[in-house]
Amino acid sequence: MISIERKLPLFAIALLLAVAAAQLAIGYGRVRQASRSLVDKRLPLAGRVLADAFQLGQTRTRITALAHNPAVVEYLRSGGQRGREQALTAMRAIAADTASNLGLELRDFSGRLLLRSGRFSIADSVLVSPGSDSARYGPLLRRDTTLYFAIASATGAERGGGIVQLVARLQLNDRTRKTLTGLTGGDIALLLGNATGDPWTDFAAVVPAPPESVRTSRAPIRYDRGGEALRASAAPVAGTPWVVVAEIPSRLVAAPAREYVRSMAPIALLIVLVGALFAWWSSRRLTRPLVDVTRAAEAIAEGDLGTRVPAGRDDELGRLARSFNTMADRVSQSHHDLEDKVAERTAELESFSYSVSHDLRAPLRAIHGFARILLEDHRTQLDPEAERLLGVIDQNTRHMGQLIDDLLAFSRFGRQAMNRMPVDMNELTSTVVEDVRRAEAERNGHFDIEIDTLRPAYGDPALLRQVLSNLIQNAVKFTRGRPQPRIEVGSSAEGKGEGDQTVYFVKDNGAGFDPRFSDKLFGVFQRLHRAEDFEGTGVGLAIVKRIVQRHGGRVWAEGKPDAGATFYFTLPGKES
Amino acid sequence: MSTKGVEILLVEDNAHDAELTLRALKQRNLANRVHVCRDGAEAIDFLDDMSEGGGGAAPKVILLDLKLPKVDGLEVLQRLKRDARTKTIPVVVLTSSREEPDIEKAYALGANSYIVKPVDFEAFARAVSDVGLYWLLLNHPPQ
Repeated sequence: MISIERKLPLFAIALLLAVAAAQLAIGYGRVRQASRSLVDKRLPLAGRVLADAFQLGQTRTRITALAHNPAVVEYLRSGGQRGREQALTAMRAIAADTASNLGLELRDFSGRLLLRSGRFSIADSVLVSPGSDSARYGPLLRRDTTLYFAIASATGAERGGGIVQLVARLQLNDRTRKTLTGLTGGDIALLLGNATGDPWTDFAAVVPAPPESVRTSRAPIRYDRGGEALRASAAPVAGTPWVVVAEIPSRLVAAPAREYVRSMAPIALLIVLVGALFAWWSSRRLTRPLVDVTRAAEAIAEGDLGTRVPAGRDDELGRLARSFNTMADRVSQSHHDLEDKVAERTAELESFSYSVSHDLRAPLRAIHGFARILLEDHRTQLDPEAERLLGVIDQNTRHMGQLIDDLLAFSRFGRQAMNRMPVDMNELTSTVVEDVRRAEAERNGHFDIEIDTLRPAYGDPALLRQVLSNLIQNAVKFTRGRPQPRIEVGSSAEGKGEGDQTVYFVKDNGAGFDPRFSDKLFGVFQRLHRAEDFEGTGVGLAIVKRIVQRHGGRVWAEGKPDAGATFYFTLPGKES
Repeated sequence: MSTKGVEILLVEDNAHDAELTLRALKQRNLANRVHVCRDGAEAIDFLDDMSEGGGGAAPKVILLDLKLPKVDGLEVLQRLKRDARTKTIPVVVLTSSREEPDIEKAYALGANSYIVKPVDFEAFARAVSDVGLYWLLLNHPPQ
C-alpha cells in the first residue's frame, strides 16, 4: 500500500509530466506546421522570382533589334554574298556585350551557318520559322561541365532572310549560387533545368535532374533525393523550355519545432520539479495531522486515554483534531465514570456478600446446632423416625453451609485483584497434589497421578492453584471406587504462534459424563451426577471457568459416561 | 452488674449463637464465669466499668463477634487495643465472616486470633471449646 503522503506527490508528478508532455507535443506540432506553411509560401515565391529573372528580357530585345539591323538583313537576303563586313561589325557590338555570350551566328532557314562571330559554335540552330517576330530560347545544352543555350530570332522573311542566333553560357560557380540563394534567404536551394529533363544545375555545378513529378508540379511537394527528404516547388520560366525548382531539406523545415522542444523541455522539467516539491510539501502538511490523529487513536486504543493531538490549525484538519480531542475527552470521561461505577458496584457487591456470609450462616448454624442438641439431649424420648428426620435436617444444613461457602468463594474469585507473574505450573501442581493426597489419605483413599513436564504460565499463582486444585479434586472424586484410578496432567502449545497460549489438561479414567451436557458442566450449581453418587455443590468448575477467563483463556471438556473425562484450559505463556 | 471474676467475655448479638457457644464451653466446664454482652456498646460499657471499678481481674479472653448492633466489633476491638488498661486482654474474633478485608483489619487492630464460625455444630463446638481451653488454661498472660 502506498501512503497518501507519497501518493499525492506521485500523482502530482504524473499529472505535471502529462501536462508538460502534452504541451511540448502540441507546441512541436504547431511550430512545425507554421514553419512548413511558411516554407510552402516561400518555395513558389523563390521559384517565381528566379524564373522571372531568367526571362532575360534585355537579351531578347537586343537579338530582336539585331535581326532588324539593315546590314544583317542585307547580308542574309543576299545569301551571304554582300555586306559581310557591315554585318560582322553589327554582330560584334552585341557578342562582346557580356562575358556570357559565346558567339553570334547568322544562318539561313535551313540551319546552314553563313557567318559567325566568336569562336564558339553549336551544331544545330534553334529552329525559328520565317515570319516569327520575337526571339526564341532553346533548351539548355551541356558540354562537359558547361551549360549553354541559344537565343534565335528570324529576320527578313518576306524577301529572303535567315536566322540570327546568340549562344550564351550559364555562369556556374559558387558565387553565382550563393548570390542566388542569398536572394531567397539562404536555406532554399534553387535549381534550373529543362522541363523535359537533363541537364540541370544548381548554379554551381551540373546536377541530376529532379524527378518529373517535381519539375511539373506547381504547388510544393515532398520528394526523396539520395535518402534525404526534401520539399520542393517548380516554376516555369516564361518564354523558355526551362523550369526553376526551389527546394529545402525537410529537416530544416522541422528544425524550428525541434528547437522549440529543445528550449522548452528544461523549463517544463523545472516546472515539474517545482510542482513535485510543492505537492510533497503540501501533502506532508496535509498528512502530518492525519498521522498525529492516527497515532493518538492507536495510543488511546492501547489504553493511554490522556493522549491528545495539537489542534492549532483553522482548517478542516484543525477541526478534525479538535473533534478528536473532544471525543478523546468524552471517552476518557466515560471511562472514569465507568470505573467509578464499577468500583461502586463492587463495593455494593462486597457488602452484599459480607451480609450473606454473616447473616445467612448464623440461622443455619442455629438450625444445625439445635437439631444436634435435640439429638444429644433428648435421644431417649425420640422414636427412630424422629431421629431420622433430625438426621435429614442435619445433612441439609451442612449442605447449605457448603453451598454458601462455595458461592462466596465463587464471588471472591471473580472480583479478587489479580497479581500476575510467571508461574511454574509443575511446582504448583505438585503442592496441589500433595494437599489432595493428604485429604484423600484421611478417608483412606489413594490415587495414581502422572504429571508431564508442564509449560510455564503467566498469571495469578493463588488463582491458578485454585483451578488445579478444583480439577484434580474432581478427578479424584470421580475416580473413587474405580479399580485402578488414574489421573494425568499435561500441557501442549496451542496451534502455532497463536497468542502464545498453552493448553493444559487434567485427564481421569473415572465416571465421565454425557457429552450432550458438556456445556452445562461449567455453570454455577450445574451438576451432571446425583448427590448420592458424588458429593458437591456444582461450583468448582464454575470457579475454574471464571478464573481461566479472567486470565484470557478458555475451558472445555471431553468425556463419555464411564469412560473418563478430560478437562482442558488455556493460559497465556507470557505477559501480553 | 458485677465484673468480678469474669473469665470469658462473650460479645455476641445472636442469642442462639450465644447459647451454642455457652453450651460448647459448658461441656468443657469453662462456662462458669462467662459474661455475655449483646452489642458493642454494652461491651464497651462493661469494660469501662471494670476499669473504673478498679477491682477485679480482667477477663482472660474476649470472644468478639464482628457484626454487632450500635458499635461494631472492629470498633470495639480498636477501643480495646487503644486503651492501656485493656490492650493486654486477648481478643479472639469469632465471626461468620471469612472476608479477607475483615481478617486483615482485625489483625491490624491487634486481634490475637481470628476464627470463622463453622455452620457445622460439632466443628463449631470444637472450635469454641479449643479456644476456651487454650486461652484459659494454656495461655500465660502478663501479670
